[in-house]
Amino acid sequence: MIPFAAKRLLVMLPTLFLVSIACFVVITMQPGSFTDKYLSDPRMGPAAVAQIKAQLGLDRPAYQQYLRWVGGIVTRGDFGYSFFAGQPVSEVVGQKLVWTLVVAGVTMLFSWLVAVPLGILTAIRRNGLTDFVASFIGYIGLAVPDFLVALLLVALVLSFGGTNVGGLFSPAYIGTSWSWARLADLLDHLWIPVLAIGTAGTASIMRQMRANLLDVLNADYVRTARAKGLRERRVINRHAVRTAINPLISMAGLSLPELINGTIIASIVLNLPTIGPLLYDSLLAKDQYVAMTLLLLASALLMVGNLLADLTLAWTDPRIRYE
Amino acid sequence: MKTFRRASFLLVLALALAGVAAAQQKVVNTADLGLQPGQRGGTITLPLNDAPPSFFYYAVIDTNIDLLANQMFDTLVEFNLDTYKLEPGLATSWDVSADGTVYTFHLRKGVTWSDGQPFTAADVVFTLDQVVSNPQVKAGDAAQFTFNVGGESKHATFEAVDPQTVKITLPVPSAAFLLNLRSFYIVPKHKLEQYSVEGGGQPADLNKAWPTNGPLTDVVGTGPYVLASYTPGQKVVLERNPDYWKVDQNGTQLPYADELDYLVVKGTQAQTAQFLAGNLDELNISGSQFPDFKSREVAGAPFKVASSPALFGSPPHLAFNFDAKDPALASVFSQVAFRRAMEYAVDRQRVIDDVYNGLAQIPGTPTAPADGTFYVDTTSQMHMFDLEKAKAGLDALGIKDTDGNGVRNLPDGGKDLEFTLTYSADSQTDTDIATILQNDFGQVGVKVDLQGIQGSSLFSTALGGDFQSIIVAFGNQPDPELRKPIWQPGGSLYYWHRATQPANPGGQPTFDAMAPWEKTIYDIFDQGSKLADQAKRVQLYGQWQRLNAENDPVIMIAKPQNIAAVYDRIGNFIYSLGVIPGYNPVPLYYVSK
Repeated sequence: MIPFAAKRLLVMLPTLFLVSIACFVVITMQPGSFTDKYLSDPRMGPAAVAQIKAQLGLDRPAYQQYLRWVGGIVTRGDFGYSFFAGQPVSEVVGQKLVWTLVVAGVTMLFSWLVAVPLGILTAIRRNGLTDFVASFIGYIGLAVPDFLVALLLVALVLSFGGTNVGGLFSPAYIGTSWSWARLADLLDHLWIPVLAIGTAGTASIMRQMRANLLDVLNADYVRTARAKGLRERRVINRHAVRTAINPLISMAGLSLPELINGTIIASIVLNLPTIGPLLYDSLLAKDQYVAMTLLLLASALLMVGNLLADLTLAWTDPRIRYE
Repeated sequence: MKTFRRASFLLVLALALAGVAAAQQKVVNTADLGLQPGQRGGTITLPLNDAPPSFFYYAVIDTNIDLLANQMFDTLVEFNLDTYKLEPGLATSWDVSADGTVYTFHLRKGVTWSDGQPFTAADVVFTLDQVVSNPQVKAGDAAQFTFNVGGESKHATFEAVDPQTVKITLPVPSAAFLLNLRSFYIVPKHKLEQYSVEGGGQPADLNKAWPTNGPLTDVVGTGPYVLASYTPGQKVVLERNPDYWKVDQNGTQLPYADELDYLVVKGTQAQTAQFLAGNLDELNISGSQFPDFKSREVAGAPFKVASSPALFGSPPHLAFNFDAKDPALASVFSQVAFRRAMEYAVDRQRVIDDVYNGLAQIPGTPTAPADGTFYVDTTSQMHMFDLEKAKAGLDALGIKDTDGNGVRNLPDGGKDLEFTLTYSADSQTDTDIATILQNDFGQVGVKVDLQGIQGSSLFSTALGGDFQSIIVAFGNQPDPELRKPIWQPGGSLYYWHRATQPANPGGQPTFDAMAPWEKTIYDIFDQGSKLADQAKRVQLYGQWQRLNAENDPVIMIAKPQNIAAVYDRIGNFIYSLGVIPGYNPVPLYYVSK
């Protein structure tokens, strides 16, 4: 398995290189530049703008900018400089990383913990009332965009006089040290993004799980298991679900880049200190090294996620062999 | 030598009261401002649109650090909160030589930086000479101190005569010099010298001073508040400066509130939610949000919605590209008669009523009606909405519908008069205005195709000349001199007629391309910046506004009001656009118990 993983990791490098070129071309081909917004400032003459461009290296030809950036990554692990924040990109992204992982992790956990059992339940009780209700809610969850769910939840909380609308903490708890009260405050805020962002994912995983399980339940080996006289619980859990869950593991791997670009609008609406809005802002402001680093990170996560999914599959399903 | 001893009675009063603090105090009489003496204590929470990229005001052009710097630093002179007239700040008085070139500033005594170091003339000279005049410093403003004397570029000189006196010598008199000084926050030499050229650094090093991830204790100011803590991307906490030099008329030291919290909340929607939840004490809103907020206020919400005529703020205008790439359109657009005819089809009142919910007024051309000094009422010269006059005007130009398809044709059997109208699609206001214009222009047989673009690229599109007609807004300032690059033909922001711009950057504008009225306006601005006589300047700029109203370089649409929602628990609220250096009402806000 280790040689396999190593090989896959090596293949990632040229892919990432190509992705970085594609991102850079797309970003630099956009009209305008980072310094455009300065033009309307009374303090800024065209000469001053040109000077800033020179400081930022934006006066060089595009290929030089690109080579310098890639050179920095390869030789020093330096992902460039954020024009907007005036800090290294790694630091800007790093500031947002923890909360991004927390929100995404809790959301994923929520989705899976709710969706998988519900999927199993609706498959077993196919066409029953539970199936009908869960599927109905699931369809709505899939159809309604996450930011709209977020807006509705915010409106709901406001109409009940709540103050936990947006952000991850109440103003009083931002930047204070950890305490039980602070944790409670976090949880009080966290449920809105988790519900808003997680609903669509939950619905989709539930539908997948249901469909997979229904397929498997009709398979011969399930009938055999039942014929052996196993209890239904054991048939479902040990025989049917284990097979039915495999495609979901691949799906989980593919959803890793959503950490960065999956929930941009909902995160903006909810004022979350996460990476999604950073990507959005950097693309709009043409803060090119931040945007490129995040896009590169997203594609790296996609590939790593795929690899992890494959490895997990091999581990959970002995039928799959990689040599 | 002409002497201005400003506010000397205040000084006398201040000295009488100066028992506790050593600093020479400035008394802010709340009664003069229609306010009341406040109470000390409490925390006020205000919004920031984004995280500040640096804590050094001069290192970045960014509205968020502008807001914070306004609370942490002071300027030599500042605006009166009521009249927008200049009054003493860190300088208690100043003398101007008879020829208007030598300014001597007498500094406030006993003022200290928040780390206890004394504030002296060396700090002022350092700020103006090493920081503001350094062209490599991003938010510096070297151009303000550079003057063109007979084709040669000359720089002002700064001299610390003694620790309490600064002398500034200009090569030529400058009308807006004093006014410009209100936007230069004085920063501490002892903390920043190491980054300056004087201190052995590279010219661009100052841009690296006081990063947001550096030690906050380095950020010392003389202002009402001191930086206390920063949670990256989420919250900035400022604490009151116990040594601040302003007091109210009862001798209570300002600022009233103990703590200012700035929450980073991006976007209108999220800010509205945070305000309604009570997590923000104040929010600047737009006319389109007004009905929602006002109905909540009427329904008993514990906040008020306040609106007032605005001096600052950006009135939108409609511009036609005199140099449009299509030569047939360019020739029509550069005719005054055409722009006048189109102005008759601009329904300003409908924009004011429908788009701004009545919270806007007929604009000046382009001075703000709230500007008590320079505004001239040109309404009678403007061409107010009248579709019949618009039609007649187009007819007179020979722009008639010759092929009977409902759209007028360009003169001499030309093609349909059809052009694009570019606007910022991010702005609901601009989108609504564009739709109204499209509709009314259609009524007079002019076909408009709407082209909404990203707000952030609106200026670059305009400056690049890549449009046919466009809706843009430039902010008003208290002196036309400050907006010279926009309104003087040939200026770097005079985007609707780019043919007037200098052939070589920094050179003479292209006078051949200017219409006679444009040349007149050019001369007005040229004269206006050299004159020291304020009455003559007022007269000159009045002539400019009338020329604008008649010749429509651009068509001013409406001047929106300031609107803010503020919770009842905050006393003495005065609207501030947020980014006006030298105008800071926040120390007067108090939290009612």
